[in-house]
Amino acid sequence: MNLNEYFSLVFSDYTLRTITLGTAILGAVCGMLGSFAVLRKQSLLGDAISHAALPGIAIAFLITGAKDSNTLLIGALVSGLIGTFWIKGITTKTHLKSDTALGLILSLFFGFGMLLLTFIQKQPNANQAGLDKYLFGQAATLVESDVWLMAIVTGLCLVVILLFWKEFKMLLFDPDYTKTLGFNTRIIDILITSFIVLAIVLGLQTVGVVLMSAMLLAPAAAARQWTNSLGTMVILAAFFSAFSGVFGTAISASQNNLSTGPVIVLVASVFVLFSFIFSPSRGLLFRHIRFIKNRRDLEQHKTLAFMYHIAKTHDTISHPHTIKILNNFQGFTRGTLQKLVKKNYVELDGNMWSLTEEGFKTASNLYNQQNNE
Amino acid sequence: MNSAQIEIQLIASLVAIACAIPGTFLVLRKMAMISDAISHAILPGLVIGFFITQDLNSPLLILLAALSGLITVVLVEQIQQTGLVKEDTAIGLVFPALFSIGVILIAKNANDVHLDVDAVLLGELAFAPFDRLIISGTDVGPKSLWVIGSILTVTLGLLFAFFKELKVSTFDAGLSASLGFSPVIIHYGLMSVASITTVGAFDAVGAILVVALMIAPAATAYLLTTDLKKMLLLAVFFGVLSAISGYWMAHILDASIAGSITTMLGFIFLMAYLFAPSKGVIAVIYREKQQRTEVSLITFLLHLKNHSEKSERHVNHLCEHINWQKVRAKTVLDLAQQNNMIIIDNNIVSLTDKGDAFTTQAIDYIITNEDAQIEDMKDDFFLFRG
Repeated sequence: MNLNEYFSLVFSDYTLRTITLGTAILGAVCGMLGSFAVLRKQSLLGDAISHAALPGIAIAFLITGAKDSNTLLIGALVSGLIGTFWIKGITTKTHLKSDTALGLILSLFFGFGMLLLTFIQKQPNANQAGLDKYLFGQAATLVESDVWLMAIVTGLCLVVILLFWKEFKMLLFDPDYTKTLGFNTRIIDILITSFIVLAIVLGLQTVGVVLMSAMLLAPAAAARQWTNSLGTMVILAAFFSAFSGVFGTAISASQNNLSTGPVIVLVASVFVLFSFIFSPSRGLLFRHIRFIKNRRDLEQHKTLAFMYHIAKTHDTISHPHTIKILNNFQGFTRGTLQKLVKKNYVELDGNMWSLTEEGFKTASNLYNQQNNE
Repeated sequence: MNSAQIEIQLIASLVAIACAIPGTFLVLRKMAMISDAISHAILPGLVIGFFITQDLNSPLLILLAALSGLITVVLVEQIQQTGLVKEDTAIGLVFPALFSIGVILIAKNANDVHLDVDAVLLGELAFAPFDRLIISGTDVGPKSLWVIGSILTVTLGLLFAFFKELKVSTFDAGLSASLGFSPVIIHYGLMSVASITTVGAFDAVGAILVVALMIAPAATAYLLTTDLKKMLLLAVFFGVLSAISGYWMAHILDASIAGSITTMLGFIFLMAYLFAPSKGVIAVIYREKQQRTEVSLITFLLHLKNHSEKSERHVNHLCEHINWQKVRAKTVLDLAQQNNMIIIDNNIVSLTDKGDAFTTQAIDYIITNEDAQIEDMKDDFFLFRG
């Protein structure tokens, strides 16, 4: 199947439609909440939580004995929340730093989850096969009810974000001020963290434990480069993320042996790379262009100032000088001289140059703004 | 115990020691999450190495994989230097991308490669004794034992040779630079050791669980001591302890060895987290409660000193005046009485000479905030200790 076939099939084929819708919705919710995670400097929280969800899945299976994805998700949610609050506990109550706390919870919960999974595999329960799809995710296992669940959660999340927009925004940028205004920062904090955990848990089935964190933060990091406004960033991130979901699904469906999760992550990474380089205000390319332009401007100013100091020593401004005397001066190139001529600061006559009235005036005002009249 | 079991425990213990040493420095340098990034990002290096050598224990593969770990570190630093995103975001961007490339490389070549992502992430220690190293016909032991043994030897050699440099640059990078030990070289040296250890350990315990073996023993040790040498020794001890106890737990439950080693690590950490003498949660909560009482006590004594009239010093009045609940008021009164700071006569509270002197000192302390003034009070009170 090639890409064209995919797009022609996407509306008619049940599986493709479900997967595409699922990844798009998942992307949207991850992008929205990811923006908050990135701005709160909790980028790696997603990584820790997604790993911490594993024992919850295993325990939910051990208790219910069924592979119903909703009960497993509730298990994952509970253990993800426990992980999150334990991370908070470690950083606030002990002197261990947040990176250590994240690494601890991530690896310890995941290891415990692996223990439980291998334990389950030894159990005489034919139902257990396929629990390990949560490790890497299998978008192909999505069914319509999963997509409905995602849609409901996304809707809920959207409502909450719109309702508490002001509070979230304020907590994000100035927690102390929020507190002094009388908001209960703890509850707002718990609310937003819980929704981040919820989004991560939702994505486990599709992209898996290991790659979920990228799904959360890559679109947000990309969106951050294009705007300084939180609202725009959230919308952009949701859009980028949904697009990487759809596009990743399309690529992986059109090739053999490509799992969806890694492809989605790579598409999102391409977005990030593109944004890092080509974003007009923060991007590396335009930053470098601005840098070069500024340097050229400075050199031009240097040449002009040098000419000004020569012209000052003569009676008339338009006294011609040879170009040669500029040669041992660093700011001078043929190009800068041409530019100065174009700006009507300098007149050229064969091998001789002279400052114009306008050039003289500009040059005298270059470093001090005294002769404005 | 048969020889395979002994060999498994030996390998697990060596991995634990080899991980605990760089892990301690990573935790102290607040770079614990880098180990997570490295452990994921070695995947593409591993896969490419495996295409070339077809042997998970070949030195070339280990070098290639460690190189891809180092590339991760460099990439993270480069992205961070652009100032476009924070460090943690940079880590979170780089390693999933590299890991995805690895997964896709495996998936696209599934027919030629006997390499399973599960195996890379989770490892299988139980099979380690079956892959023997045979030198000129004689069996000298499992390959992974030799791999991790040589990595450990190098790590230990580097640790002893550069202990001073590592210590200085970990705690004071500026001082280290001014003394002429380049923090950059030490940083990359540490990162190389961490990468190589991760690669060497992954096929025993799996890439993700290497992270547990690096961070958890070090974090546990950090809760118990503030001495670097003691911390290293404790971390090694906890690592080995959980490696061996984890093996036996897996034996009993018939489950993944790596998983149960991590579970043991988690258990040990939980114990230290709750019960560590001065930094454990219970100790911290107890200390915070003590400090709260002591602040109340000082408030109370100051109140007494400021009011000479009897009505202000009546027991019943105090509750409403300072706005304390009964229980707390009673705790504070009892504490003050035990320390001979006050006498209660006819329900009228008054300061004793000792209480008066103490209150004066306390005021001095609050005003001047100089440590020397309160040296002698430190024995009685938590509050003024460090």
